[in-house]
Amino acid sequence: MTRPARPAAAATRPGFVWALPAAVFFLLFAFVPLALVAVLSFTSWDGIGEPHFNGLDNWTSLFDDPVMLQSVWTTLLLTALGVAVQTPVSILIGVWAAGHQRNRAVLSAIYFVPLLLSATAVSVVWRAVLDPNFGVPAQLTWLFGDGNLLGTKGGAIAVLTFVGVWQYTPLHALLYQGGARAIPQVLYQAAAIDGAGRVRQFFHITLPQLRNTVITSVILMVVGGLTTFDTVLILTQGGPGTDTTVTAYYMYQKAFKGFEFGPGSAVALVLVVVATLISLVLVRLSGYDRMRGTTEGM
Amino acid sequence: MGSRIAAVAAATVLVLGTTAACGSGGGSSDSGSGTIHVLVYGDAANKVEKQLVETFNKTSKVKVVLDTIPGADYQQKLQTVINTSRAPDVFFNWGGGSIQPFVKAGLLLPLDDFIAKDPGLKDNFLPAVFNSAVVDGKPYGVPMRGTQPVLLFHNKQVLADAGLTPPKTWDELVAATKALKAKGITPIALGGGDQWPTLMWFEYLYDRIAGPELFQRALNGDKAAWASEDSRKALSTLKELVDAGAFGSNFDSVKFTDGGSPALVAKGKAAFELMGSWYYSTQQDANPDFAKSGLGYTGFPSVGGGKGDPAAVVGNTNNFYSVLKKTKYPEAAAAFLKLMYSDDFVKAQLAIGNLPTTTSTANFLDLSASPAYSKAQYELVKAAPSFQLSWDQAYPPSAMTPMHTAVQQFFDGRIDTDGFIKAMSALPTS
Amino acid sequence: MRRRPNFLAGFGSLVWLALIGLPLYVLLIATFRTRSDYSTEGPLSPPAQWTLQNYLDDFSNGFGQDFLNTLTVTAGVVAIVLLVVPPLAYAIVRARGRATGWIFRLFLLGLAIPAQAVIVPMFYVMNQTGLYDHLIGIVLPTAAFCLPVCTLVLTGAMRDISPELYEAMAMDGASPARVFRQLVIPLSKGGLSSITVFAALQAWNGFLFPLILTQSDSTKVITLGLYDFQTEHGVDVPALLSAVVLSMLPILVVYLFARRALVQGLTGVGGK
Repeated sequence: MTRPARPAAAATRPGFVWALPAAVFFLLFAFVPLALVAVLSFTSWDGIGEPHFNGLDNWTSLFDDPVMLQSVWTTLLLTALGVAVQTPVSILIGVWAAGHQRNRAVLSAIYFVPLLLSATAVSVVWRAVLDPNFGVPAQLTWLFGDGNLLGTKGGAIAVLTFVGVWQYTPLHALLYQGGARAIPQVLYQAAAIDGAGRVRQFFHITLPQLRNTVITSVILMVVGGLTTFDTVLILTQGGPGTDTTVTAYYMYQKAFKGFEFGPGSAVALVLVVVATLISLVLVRLSGYDRMRGTTEGM
Repeated sequence: MGSRIAAVAAATVLVLGTTAACGSGGGSSDSGSGTIHVLVYGDAANKVEKQLVETFNKTSKVKVVLDTIPGADYQQKLQTVINTSRAPDVFFNWGGGSIQPFVKAGLLLPLDDFIAKDPGLKDNFLPAVFNSAVVDGKPYGVPMRGTQPVLLFHNKQVLADAGLTPPKTWDELVAATKALKAKGITPIALGGGDQWPTLMWFEYLYDRIAGPELFQRALNGDKAAWASEDSRKALSTLKELVDAGAFGSNFDSVKFTDGGSPALVAKGKAAFELMGSWYYSTQQDANPDFAKSGLGYTGFPSVGGGKGDPAAVVGNTNNFYSVLKKTKYPEAAAAFLKLMYSDDFVKAQLAIGNLPTTTSTANFLDLSASPAYSKAQYELVKAAPSFQLSWDQAYPPSAMTPMHTAVQQFFDGRIDTDGFIKAMSALPTS
Repeated sequence: MRRRPNFLAGFGSLVWLALIGLPLYVLLIATFRTRSDYSTEGPLSPPAQWTLQNYLDDFSNGFGQDFLNTLTVTAGVVAIVLLVVPPLAYAIVRARGRATGWIFRLFLLGLAIPAQAVIVPMFYVMNQTGLYDHLIGIVLPTAAFCLPVCTLVLTGAMRDISPELYEAMAMDGASPARVFRQLVIPLSKGGLSSITVFAALQAWNGFLFPLILTQSDSTKVITLGLYDFQTEHGVDVPALLSAVVLSMLPILVVYLFARRALVQGLTGVGGK
């Protein structure tokens, strides 16, 4: 952008006031509570009386708390699993759905139905479907055995990952569908003339061309993964034991089940720090901070 | 196109405006027209409470609004709302430890004045029960619903088919589980996903093997109690039962609160379930035919060589209604509480299998949904030398999650006896 | 260009169809079955006898109220977003001052704040201000947490308006307000419909704020209703799942009639 030559043009530019309502609103409801959570993390508060300062007590006990550290690892593990499974699957589906064949359009319409459900609804449905005695496992014992999916660590993590994949793959597939449709056909035609087969075309044209979409999609997955809460609350309650207690759920458990709002706030702050660090890295990598419109996509 | 969006925006602003108006209007009109909010634990017993409220509202100027919160979330919601502007006027609780923090914070109304005006609010209830909601010498709760001992329920048909009789001793129970397992039936249904049903097994085995004193010592801060010989014996006895497959293998994927484990028993997929006496109304609500003819019950079996009295029970002593200090209509609240000893209330509770603890209860036992069940319960509680309050009610709320976690992990083999002792010793006690 | 059919892809697509379709089949079929039919015959069996009772039961269990509450919350959130985001995006794209740059960075940073992180103080604040258990108490934080994404999407759309158009209007001596009304808004309608759908979906599907900040039946939204029903009557699968189906109907309608806007709203950051 170049500076306008005429002062008249400058006068037509909006002033800072235009941004003010949104900024004030956002400060009030996002950053002020964030500051408050920091303050509360140095207090003890049971939700009944008023908060009292207790210095570093919450923080020292937090660092001695094995569940805290475990919850961070569990969160990272679930996020990583989500990215690792969803990315290839959604790329394949997205690229496949980008084709204009009629059968693909019909199937895609079914594929995208999970998008219409809230995370709450999805979790509620899966909880019912996976019930060991009255759900699908009871009818398909050859596949599910005793159906104790949510009663073992591996099973619970697998269920959470799978439900995440089921729910979010359609969204990411949509992104990839858009990305794949934006790839110029010329590239494929040229490759076909060179005798490149379908697989080579996929790895040498489609994938590299989808680079930006991959970044966008992975950012969304990571941000979503770090803040997984609804699914854990409804499907596993952090169990069995503390095996699926992710950080967001641990915060909820401390604050709203144990009524230790001080330590709960400290956990929340850990969550913010982890999420911010990871997001900053991703934003740097992706170039969102360079303030330009993205041209890929729909 | 732009103007269309503007129109949509304008319309939504309008809606928002009315919402805000509704939202704030709702709150103020509540107090203006004279209502008191009664917060109760949401389960099958709610139909009696609803009926009671309707009766009350017919004659009272101040109307009662009944708010129910699903059982699994009741306690946490209660504590989060109790000091807010939307706190209820009257609320359901478990007496004793469950209201202590609220009393300490000065939120509850001592009921002395109510009782002075109507001595029946005290005299019509069994003293032992009434006294368990007395904190620091002042009464804070009026008994409601009923006493809730934990019983061992069974499916009569399943036991008969296996040629078994309800077990009186632990050894008989173990033998029964083996026989049932051989027939491909899950011997004992357990809603392990809820965690607190698992805890009941610990409560009874500790009570039978060590007597009620051990837990009392632990609760008073003597951490060594958990490491004692009796404690280890209780744990190993329990462990044997779990390892023998008495609960099947998928109990941690099953819940009681959503109706899962009761359905297993009702459908004959499992034989036993250890549960509070509300189990009858749960089954009556979900599987009425089964509740009427197929549901059997006994006290918890005796354990050979144990120090505890085989007649002792554990569970919830009773439920109570307590009143908040800031209620605008204490008279209406008092009038509502009077219904808790009315004949209609006692009859209605009995009709769903609950056992109210009014002095008049014995007169109405024959009117119960299952007189035999009510009488058995009545005799059980009357004969019990001690009534151990559920551990998770006895400890402060912050101990609940770690306690439940330890209990679950012990059952699924993630921690051993030492791990369990360590976890229980680490619980906050005051 | 003729291509031979891709069998591998065809097979893969059928596997995925089974994974997506099976739960959807259970979901849909269960809603037309009786409770005892479902629990004795298993979820995969077709209804022994079709019934609409489950849907009727949902309404007698208060689904109508939940639905209205959710609608109100959604309208409120969309209204706030449409009121504050367009001027903000306009300022970010066109203003010259350093301050707007900082504000944009503020919102980018806000992208990283998870709602869970602020729920404890939010609960404290709503308690203190008396907004606890009022719908407006859900609307405000939900709208606030929509802002970063909406801002990103709308600034993206507004950046595509060509500078010549601005300059042409500047020549006419148009004020910023007139430029906003006559140029910016009409030309970013795609972005506006995207953020409308995005905000509406956030509000419609929101769970954490209602879970913590409301309590009564009179303020219950659909997601919380589903959760409560599952907690208390989870074994009554047909009634539960029919409520799930009812909860998705409005979005289904949008999907059928405004698919493009829905897809753009859903993909938020990526599309525009």
